[in-house]
Amino acid sequence: MSSKIAVMADPDTVTGFMLGGINDGFPVSNMEEAGDKLKELAKEYSIIITTEKIGDNFRETIDKISSESALPMIIEIPDKKGSIDRESDPIRELIKRVIGVEMVE
Amino acid sequence: MAQEMIEGINPTRMELLKLKQREKLAVKGHSLLKEKRNALIMEFFNILERVKGSRDEVAVKLAEAYQDLTAAQVTMGDLAVRKAAMSVTESVDVDIDSRSVMGVVVPVVDSKLKERTIVERGYGFMDTSVKLDEAAKKFEESIQLIIELGEIEKTIMLLAGEIESTKRRVNALEHIIIPRLENTVKYIEMRLEEMERENFVRLKMIKKTMETEAV
Repeated sequence: MSSKIAVMADPDTVTGFMLGGINDGFPVSNMEEAGDKLKELAKEYSIIITTEKIGDNFRETIDKISSESALPMIIEIPDKKGSIDRESDPIRELIKRVIGVEMVE
Repeated sequence: MAQEMIEGINPTRMELLKLKQREKLAVKGHSLLKEKRNALIMEFFNILERVKGSRDEVAVKLAEAYQDLTAAQVTMGDLAVRKAAMSVTESVDVDIDSRSVMGVVVPVVDSKLKERTIVERGYGFMDTSVKLDEAAKKFEESIQLIIELGEIEKTIMLLAGEIESTKRRVNALEHIIIPRLENTVKYIEMRLEEMERENFVRLKMIKKTMETEAV
């Protein structure tokens, strides 16, 4: 089964990914729009690429979607301003909780 | 430590048998779950090996790509870049399969990136700059990495959830359910023995009275 990939991010990031060959780009300019779009895309696409900023804003929604089933996978990437400094990386936090010690540098 | 027990159990032989059965089942379940937990953690460590550095790799690659994109936007104008991006043909072909790790369904992504020449990308050359070509190439490479990263992160998330719930169940069995069953079994055994002794004494007394009466 061939699966569909979507990009939902700020217009510049979307332009970049469309240039890279992903045809379904959804530029969003404000956070409210992003939230609605995210829920909509989660039903249809199996891979959704979004930015860390959007990811941080909708942490709960994303966690809910990604912990429930194998698909869709939501991938957060840094936008063009670079990766934001987080106090804790969600993945690292998760690993720490499961294993009990800090594992990944 | 207070001896915790299951409430409302009658000290009868029937109950004792039932409880012993339950205890056996709980112990068996506990060892099975423990095995499952260990297997999951092993799988988890294997995946952790893969996640190391892959996020940084994506960040670096993307930073380069964004730089080229910005350069292209500067030389060509924002609109022209967007127009070129619109006409780019699809480059990635992704197959998502699933694999089961101890009952946890995790995705396995098989992505095929078509190596494309500049001509195949689909935008015209008249009004595009070299920077655009480079940006497109870098974005193609990043997409491949990003999809891989997505697969790994998703797997980690799913495994982590399963490990947590398995851990909780193992602990609940080990620290609450099994001790409680053990204590209840002990209690019933003691009660039954006590009853037997009482009965024994009663019989002795009856025998004694019968003997004195006979004399």
